[in-house]
Amino acid sequence: MSDTHPSAVRPRAGMSRRQAWVTAAMAVVILIPSMYGFVGKFLEFVHIYRGASGGEFAVAPILNYLLASAGFFCMLLWAAWNGMFRDIEQPKIDFLENERLLDRDTRP
Amino acid sequence: MTSRSQTAAAVHDRPAHGDLVDERIILCYYVAALTFLTVSMLAGILMALQLVHWNPLNGVELLSPGRWRMIHTNAVAYGFLANAFLGTLHWAVPRLTFHKVASRPLSWFIFVAWQAIVGLTAIGIIVGPTFQDQPWLLDLAKQWRLPMNLGAQGLEWGETPFWIDPVALLGLALVAVNFMVPIGRSKGPMYVSLWYFMAAFVWTFLTYAMGNLLPEYAVAGTSAGAIGGLFIHDLVGLFVTPLGWGLMYYFVPILLKRPIWSHGLSLVGFWGLAFFYPLQGIHHFLYTPIPMFLQYGAVISTIAVELVVATVVINFFGTLGKKGSEFFTNLPIRYFYTGMVFYFITCFQCALQVTLTFQKLIHFTDWVVGHAHLVMFGVFSLWLFGIMTYLFPRLLGRPWYSRTLCEYHYWLSSVGLFVMFLDLTLAGVFQGWYWASLQPWDASTDGSQPFWITRVFAGLTMFAGLLCFLFNLWMTWRGAEAAERSTSQFAAAAT
Ligand code: HEM
Repeated sequence: MSDTHPSAVRPRAGMSRRQAWVTAAMAVVILIPSMYGFVGKFLEFVHIYRGASGGEFAVAPILNYLLASAGFFCMLLWAAWNGMFRDIEQPKIDFLENERLLDRDTRP
Repeated sequence: MTSRSQTAAAVHDRPAHGDLVDERIILCYYVAALTFLTVSMLAGILMALQLVHWNPLNGVELLSPGRWRMIHTNAVAYGFLANAFLGTLHWAVPRLTFHKVASRPLSWFIFVAWQAIVGLTAIGIIVGPTFQDQPWLLDLAKQWRLPMNLGAQGLEWGETPFWIDPVALLGLALVAVNFMVPIGRSKGPMYVSLWYFMAAFVWTFLTYAMGNLLPEYAVAGTSAGAIGGLFIHDLVGLFVTPLGWGLMYYFVPILLKRPIWSHGLSLVGFWGLAFFYPLQGIHHFLYTPIPMFLQYGAVISTIAVELVVATVVINFFGTLGKKGSEFFTNLPIRYFYTGMVFYFITCFQCALQVTLTFQKLIHFTDWVVGHAHLVMFGVFSLWLFGIMTYLFPRLLGRPWYSRTLCEYHYWLSSVGLFVMFLDLTLAGVFQGWYWASLQPWDASTDGSQPFWITRVFAGLTMFAGLLCFLFNLWMTWRGAEAAERSTSQFAAAAT
């Protein structure tokens, strides 16, 4: 392929039905039970913290977690807003193509 | 700008590999990494010999086993893994983003500073305890109201002496800046590896600060225990894991010459790790005074992470697909997929370990040590060996001196590790039952001897693998005539 290989000729990456299905299924399988568990435990924490003294133990790790996750939650929103997940399969094709072009310089 | 149009621009104004990548610094990082690995493995062997009552350095205070154990773990984590990752990032990040690192002088500064940090940590660990009760030090400690612990900090995995912590944090911040600049400059949807790398730069800094500073200066008692648990686990999950998986998502498609099976699924894996991993740490402290609902929370998040791991494994085996024969012919791919199988075993173990029933039996036993070696050596070190096997010939501009020695390295490392893992896992179960049956402590240590002797031989096997690799590298570097003609794809890929 020539150096001026236009991106329009690059292969387009679509998601096959199977891929879309596995991705969605894994997302659901991970999210639903975990959210159920977490929300339950969080309510329990609030409950204990209000009523009994034991809850203070938990403040440090939970605050830590919430701080770290808040950052990632903002990043997730920022990424979605900036279209990072729009053409979701394309980066894998572009990356390989770029590698091929870079290697052409260095390999015989 | 979309990824496509950005790539179009890149095609026209494409910088050359030589402008992007500083190959010399990668070589320096790899040499430093292999040096620390050699020291660490020797320390591991010494520690293993101590446990079978054959310590060749008996009576030498400065080289006492307690200090060697810390040298073993610290040299491997901060000396080998961190150096090897940093070197590889200097290859992957500029090529993925089409931008150089923020500053090459800064890269060299970080390189020298990091070696100084790891070297000083080793010195602190070895001589610190000996100087600990000197009057001048006790006076200083009183004056500044500081623990003034010149030697190791009393924090598991955070043994780096307290006076090195601020310097190490500065180093980690500089690493983040140096790599985040090119990532920030690249436009359009990012490839999954960059997500992982970005997260690792932020997480490593935060994790290090949390684990080393909070329990030392701010919190005590059970809360400090909870932070310690988070720290140990986050060091594996938020420093080593994202860098490791990020690099697998980079190298596997290149070597297989086919894109990853599903980029969407890889992003599910990444965000799953981001949200669920940080809560797991407390699973190291089941049955402690930490409130039960926090312990159960950690159990749930561990199970969530198991599912996240499943997405990653499905994706990589989907990528291998019909190219399964590459596993046999392409050595770096063999390293990568062996590591993935070990990763799966590690995570399967985690699913068992995280239950209270299992914890009752295996907590504090050698089961945990087996698990630690499986993940640190069986997964991440094998991946790094695979990457080095692929990159060294490219960096040195010549094929490996001996393909056979490369094969020896692979087989001795993976078989030695697997024997060590099985041996320690079994030892753990025996020890657990000894303790549960309330026999005297000595009965459990005596009963462990056959397992500990086997561990010495497994360790020597792994070390022999490393020696093969080092000799092969030395001969390749010197430009010695290749010992045999290679027809394998790995050699072809590497030249
Ligand atoms: C020559 C091969 C090796 C031998 C003989 C060896 C031996 C040992 C020994 C005796 C211990 C102390 C166990 C105890 O306190 O009961 C240990 C701990 C440890 N080693 Fe190694 N080791 C070797 C290689 C490695 C490598 C290459 C890594 C990482 C890549 C590693 C990671 C660890 C870790 C993480 C621990 C701490 C385990 C824990 O605290 O649970 N080892 N090793």
